[in-house]
Amino acid sequence: MNRRNFLRNTGLASATLFVPQFLSGYTNKGFTNNGKNLVVIQWSGGNDGLNTVVPFHNDLYYENRPNLAIKKSDVLKLNDELGFNPAMTGLKSLYDDGLVSIINNVGYPNPDRSHFRSMDIWHTASDSHEYWRTGWLGRYLDESCKDCDAHAALEIDDTLVLALKGQERSGFAVSNPIQLKQTTQNKFLKQIAHHHEHDHEENVAYLYKTLIDTQASANYLFDQSRIYKTKTTYPATGIGADLKKIAGLIMANTDTKIYYVNMGGFDTHSAQKGQQERLLKQYSEAITAFVEDLKGNEKLDDTLIMTFSEFGRRVKENASRGTDHGTANNVHFIGGKLKKPGIFNEAPNLSNLDHGDLIYSVDFRKIYASVLKNWLNVEPESVLKQKFKPLNLV
Amino acid sequence: MLTNQKKIQHLYWRAGFGLDISELETQSKLAIKKAVNELFRKAKTPTLLKGNSERMDTATFNKLEKSEKKEVRKKGVQSMMELRTLWIKQMMRSDDPLLERMTLFWHGHFACTISFKSYNAESQNNTIRQHALGNFKEMVLAISKDVAMIRFLNNQQNRKNSPNENYARELMELFTIGRGNYTENDVKEAARAFTGWHSNGKDEFLFNERQHDFDSKTFMGKNGNFDGEDIIDIILEQKQTARFIATKVYRYFVNKNVNEKYVEQLTNVFYDSNYNIETLMRTVFESDWFYDRENVGTKIKSPIDLLVGTMKTLKVDFDSNKSVTFIQKVLGQELFHPPNVAGWEGGKAWIDNATLMIRLNLVNYLFQIADVNITMKPEFEALINRSTIKKIEGSLKMGEIIKTFKKKDNSVIFEEMKNWLIQPNLPLDKESLDDFLFNDNKKNYIESLAMRLMTLPEYQLC
Repeated sequence: MNRRNFLRNTGLASATLFVPQFLSGYTNKGFTNNGKNLVVIQWSGGNDGLNTVVPFHNDLYYENRPNLAIKKSDVLKLNDELGFNPAMTGLKSLYDDGLVSIINNVGYPNPDRSHFRSMDIWHTASDSHEYWRTGWLGRYLDESCKDCDAHAALEIDDTLVLALKGQERSGFAVSNPIQLKQTTQNKFLKQIAHHHEHDHEENVAYLYKTLIDTQASANYLFDQSRIYKTKTTYPATGIGADLKKIAGLIMANTDTKIYYVNMGGFDTHSAQKGQQERLLKQYSEAITAFVEDLKGNEKLDDTLIMTFSEFGRRVKENASRGTDHGTANNVHFIGGKLKKPGIFNEAPNLSNLDHGDLIYSVDFRKIYASVLKNWLNVEPESVLKQKFKPLNLV
Repeated sequence: MLTNQKKIQHLYWRAGFGLDISELETQSKLAIKKAVNELFRKAKTPTLLKGNSERMDTATFNKLEKSEKKEVRKKGVQSMMELRTLWIKQMMRSDDPLLERMTLFWHGHFACTISFKSYNAESQNNTIRQHALGNFKEMVLAISKDVAMIRFLNNQQNRKNSPNENYARELMELFTIGRGNYTENDVKEAARAFTGWHSNGKDEFLFNERQHDFDSKTFMGKNGNFDGEDIIDIILEQKQTARFIATKVYRYFVNKNVNEKYVEQLTNVFYDSNYNIETLMRTVFESDWFYDRENVGTKIKSPIDLLVGTMKTLKVDFDSNKSVTFIQKVLGQELFHPPNVAGWEGGKAWIDNATLMIRLNLVNYLFQIADVNITMKPEFEALINRSTIKKIEGSLKMGEIIKTFKKKDNSVIFEEMKNWLIQPNLPLDKESLDDFLFNDNKKNYIESLAMRLMTLPEYQLC
């Protein structure tokens, strides 16, 4: 088959030329949470929390890390005990402005040191001996967003994370609204979605519904992504580009309340210093631009950013100037409406370890419970399937 | 009323990976009973998976320098990729589709992640093959002694003075009887019975007497000097175990929505046969209800079903492991890498906006008329940038399909190809597709029709 002729004759590659009158599957039913946005940033690989929020007043930190410890004089001091990694100057000024909460010692009972398993536990919010198939944000959609549009929760990526998968409803993955629109709106797919009679068997109907919703959301997000032109300069990094896209959608009052982004590269078993600081710098710079952009558009008070990783790392450095998989870690909250900006709780205790690892004091599901109850306005137990007392975070 | 061809296709989709065009010619006229017999006859002598995994046992590995270990691990990840591709090609080409299907089913049931020790993966897969249609007890016993499983579920750490309950728990919860049918105390006692079931430095099963608890245990109301095998026997004495497996089989091979009556029938057959898997599966495939309309064309293909079925239909040959791996990863079913010990959920859980678009476009990628341009999620261990797949590297051969159809009228071609490629009911007439077909000669007509049919959401079902 002559590829070019084929393309021309069937309009497959030429979706943009046709821009068809759109038959909307999208219903604009909206949300019940007062226009609040949640942005989740996932750090994959297990970020070294001790070199992110540094316990510079603790001799044990320096004893355990003869090569990797950050000098007291280099730390960006947050209080008498803790300070940011020097790569995070931007985040430090946000901290000084009261826009950051650091929650220390976050983890869960019987921690698992496998990336996959521990990330699954964070995604699903299950106990560590349980295997759940749905994510906590997916179940939030199931619980309070049954009639919402497909783009109610967006992941800025080509594939969808478990955290956003629910039983009935799931989040929506999009990395590039233009490409997504082209993929979904090609003439043939459009034709079959809307004009072809199909069987009403459960799974057939489900596939067609997903297709039509995807087309509708792709179209909507494409339009929404063209409304706002930012004046803020974002760094030319992956996370910079992702947060810029999110800002664009937030400023356009997009009917999306949860955004999810991914940063990888934190599994620093060797030569950690350069690698981690490069990532923390990218993060800090992107967040700084994002917050500035939101603030300038009076959206900062309606936005909450939460950053987490599947685990922290071993207190003692290894022989390769790196660190191995650990347990408890810090979680960052960033936003304009924090209840208790600053250092939220006690610094890590380096003298009481479990096989060389930090012992958690805050179950991460209490953090989820706070977000669910106080930010997304839903009863946490209905999503988490267990009782967790919300913290005074937002 | 379904035609015999539809029924045969149903059998082959569920017991295998569909029929290619030449198999369709030879099989579609067979009586069901005969086709079933043929499937079981071919499965009598299991074909093994024969990779060329370099053997590096744990004892040798542990003696290596850190940098050498890293190198071995890297090579191992590569050979895992090769092993996955090898298995997928075997599923596609095999003359024994039932055994490949059963192996895949049990692979998901005894879910076990193996990241770089490909020789252990190969050996586990072959253990499953040897028991896939045999006796369930023998299979559970073999899996309990499987090196990769012992390591994955921490039985290596299960010692007399510090029992590790992980294997004992999953054995009951996921592999045999199911939740709610045992107590926490049963888990503790079963763990004691499996103490010392270890693997040695040569990656062989080792019964470590010094670490085994020889004292008396109380398990499911019985007392005795039980070891692991006794525990398995006691679990299998409970009819609930037959029910648990029969339910899983029904949900996988027949319908996600369980029909209690049929499952009870399967439970009885399985239990009364003393857990003979062949007997159970024969009953499924020979039952009239298996061919009921509500069970035909209503299963969402797993990514492996979709991939292997499409490869089989279009005689796809991938140039590298990269494309095969990419499809498994983005669609959420990477062999030897289940999401967790509970395996793949299946059904609607395969589908979200991203996977659906990739699934619908899969043949467009293969025909090279759509660019892929998909960026993968970061690998946990990787420190470098994420990889983006631009296109699928592979070729397809449609010669046989064209030869089969070219002498026929377009309307006949349309009907016959539709019946072959689309398993569910498809109320679509020829005219509504005509605009999207290439009509200048038969070859182009047939190719474009295949492509369009395989882009329909209905193609995602079998």
